[in-house]
Amino acid sequence: MSAEAIPQSAAPRATQSTTPGWFARFLVRAEQLIDHVNPILVKETRQALKSRQFVATFLVVLLACWGVSFAVVAIIGPDVYYVASGPTMLMVYATILACPLILIVPFFAFRSLAAEQEDNTYELLSITSLSANQIISGKLGSAAVQMMIYLCGVSPCIAFTYLLRGVDIPTIVFLLIYFVFLCLGLSMLGLLAGTNAKARHTHVLISLLVVLCLVIVLSSTITSIPEFVERGFVDLQDPWFWLSNFAALTFYGATFSLLHAAAAAQIGFTSDNRSTPLRKRMLLLHACFLGWISIGSFFGPRSPEFFLLVLLTAAASSAAYWYLMGALMTSEWPHLSRRVLRSLPSTTLGRMFLTWFNPGPQTGFMFAVSSLSAVTLAGLMLILFFPPVGNWPSRDTVFYFLLLSWCYTLLFLGIGKLLIGLIRTVTYVQLSAGFLVHLILLLLACGIPQVIFLMTPSLRLGSDFSFIQTTNPIWTLVTLIDNGPLAVEANTLLIILGPAALVVLLLNIRSLIVDVHHMPRALPERVAQDEALLHPPPEPKPINPWEAEASSASSEVKA
Amino acid sequence: MIHARQPLIELLHLHRYFGKTRAVDDISFEVYPGEVFGYIGPNGAGKTTSMRILATLDEPTYGDARVDGFSVVDDPDRVRRRLGFMPDYFGTYENVNVREYLDFFARAYGLRGTERTRAVGSVMDFTLLNTLAEKPINGLSKGMKQRLCLGRTMIHDPSVLILDEPAAGLDPRARIELREMIDRIAQLGKAVLISSHILTELGELCDRVAIIEQGRLLATGSVEEISSHAEVVSRVSMRCLDDPQPLVNWLKARADISDITLDGNRVACTHEGGQENQAILLREVIQAGFQILEFSSKTKSLEDVFLHVTKGKVQ
Repeated sequence: MSAEAIPQSAAPRATQSTTPGWFARFLVRAEQLIDHVNPILVKETRQALKSRQFVATFLVVLLACWGVSFAVVAIIGPDVYYVASGPTMLMVYATILACPLILIVPFFAFRSLAAEQEDNTYELLSITSLSANQIISGKLGSAAVQMMIYLCGVSPCIAFTYLLRGVDIPTIVFLLIYFVFLCLGLSMLGLLAGTNAKARHTHVLISLLVVLCLVIVLSSTITSIPEFVERGFVDLQDPWFWLSNFAALTFYGATFSLLHAAAAAQIGFTSDNRSTPLRKRMLLLHACFLGWISIGSFFGPRSPEFFLLVLLTAAASSAAYWYLMGALMTSEWPHLSRRVLRSLPSTTLGRMFLTWFNPGPQTGFMFAVSSLSAVTLAGLMLILFFPPVGNWPSRDTVFYFLLLSWCYTLLFLGIGKLLIGLIRTVTYVQLSAGFLVHLILLLLACGIPQVIFLMTPSLRLGSDFSFIQTTNPIWTLVTLIDNGPLAVEANTLLIILGPAALVVLLLNIRSLIVDVHHMPRALPERVAQDEALLHPPPEPKPINPWEAEASSASSEVKA
Repeated sequence: MIHARQPLIELLHLHRYFGKTRAVDDISFEVYPGEVFGYIGPNGAGKTTSMRILATLDEPTYGDARVDGFSVVDDPDRVRRRLGFMPDYFGTYENVNVREYLDFFARAYGLRGTERTRAVGSVMDFTLLNTLAEKPINGLSKGMKQRLCLGRTMIHDPSVLILDEPAAGLDPRARIELREMIDRIAQLGKAVLISSHILTELGELCDRVAIIEQGRLLATGSVEEISSHAEVVSRVSMRCLDDPQPLVNWLKARADISDITLDGNRVACTHEGGQENQAILLREVIQAGFQILEFSSKTKSLEDVFLHVTKGKVQ
């Protein structure tokens, strides 16, 4: 608003103060600090503190804690000096705290985003300068603030359990830390669910699913609290305790980051490059998983069986993970927006290594396949160093599992992608619809042979595996793990599936060539002008004493 | 009005399809700084869809739209910094008062410190919401909410304002106040694109209008330009010095004249043709020897123009 046109009556009050005492200075400083806080966090904290729902829930939690405290002290009476009642009380307080932290705060996070879409405020928010990441972070921050308020409310009671003896400080601290991480993780999931609750009917369905999931998590948490408190899970002297916690933390961080990026991508502008950040995080999560599983196998028992078991677990998890991620990536919209084209890698090296991070189903397919191929190849090379062992799992089992799981993943992703491409020639296919195509394909491939198998007595009463089950990856691979390569005639399967996978790969590579040939576009002139205004290039620094003298002289003249 | 060289709003062959429905079908126009541009059309004509595309809330199927030279498809972030959009709904939060609401949007638009406080104060002054600063939004009347929403739209001092049905449901006083505010905004050099059903008000407020129907642009220009260019039917009245009956007979013989009425020595008739044809008619009447004291035709209101251009297909 132009200063001349509109009266400026509302000047900042803080600056009008003539005698700024320490409190006024503190307020000004606090105001300056809050300026850097996410606006959504500020708004939602204001709203929450005025909300009857929040105040009522907080009071209920507080009253429950006080009530339990008074009741227990009254019941125990003078025995409080002789009986170590700390663990029991900690379990009760943890159960009370679990209700808001696992049920209410994550559901509030879900509702806060879903309600924005319901009340038509989301569109107003989305056209501000806030990025999708900031919106998600703000909502998450608001959930974190609520969580902290609940924690602060219950913390005196939890401290009281230490005075009652029988429970040590590390147990209390780690219990609270796990609660905090669980609450934040569930809130993140709630937000991701909230981004999908766009239409009214999906909103109701997703709300029910969210509540159901939260209730399941709450009940399982409540049932595991006694075990955690009584069995002394926390052992600070044990290096495995720290290692496992660190592994869990990094894995949590990578997953959290992926979920955050996914939620931001859901609400981001469609012409934005929403895929590359997701792919980077997918890779990070997988690297994290492989890294920790490698460290685990290094510190674990020194036996080939254990190593092969670890390898089998890694191969199975990687195949499932890249199938899931590949199904999402191959459902992406195939056309790159002009905005994305501007940000494509321009150098030869960049184009060589970063093209797979570009949005689109073709690059997504290759990204998933090449990531899984790297794992498969590494697994195969590692196996060569091990002697054949007869025990379960055998070297041959892992060898065939690696190859067959690679073939299946490639086949299902490739055929699914081709099918989506075909449907796209007729109608628009959303990402969720594309994912559904993959899912239906997998269900049909597993379901049809299974139905034939169950309805044919000769097959059912015969051996465990039949070639009818060739299209059923779950049955085939589980039989392979359970009964070994001979049970599934792995050689024959490999002769069938290997060439089929290569054909599908070649069919998909055709369309990939188009994506590889995309060249980065130059910034439009108007954008370049704006960019220069927003981020002016730094003034060149003098590189010798004469230039320094000249620049100081010119600045003096200007002055 | 002086047009700067660079338009602030450009719609370039904008298309938006929803399945087989063509909500917006090849619309192009430009709006310049300091201009109030009216966007009129019946319900479902495609006004809101094209405004939503301009506000970066939707994407065109084909074509593009630019705000201050930036594409709404390629650079929505740059467009959003320059644009204020007031949709046809309020979009208010619970447990938030007027000052907090404006403060939130000021923060969301990246205003910090004194700049933010000043912007909130200025907007409250401008929209006359100063006395209601601490009042919860849910307790505001419709007119006050509308003013608040206009304030929110202007909080980051955008160069372009898009107002979708801003006067809907307002009482006459609130409408007048809103009209005055929009007038003042245009005087600040901002481009205002406004859609409304209250055509009489738009006619007074807008420098130019665009009329759309079924997603297609039917006419663009000032109300006078559109009415003069359109093949219109107008009511012409003539006062004769002597007996009007010969004039009536003369008029009856003409193909472009119908529905003749006689009131004393005043003859009124319906004439098919624009203003140029009216001038020809007057010349021919005088050349035919009739003594005419007065010749007038009813000036077309925006409503008449709209009804004529849209063929009266208002839904």
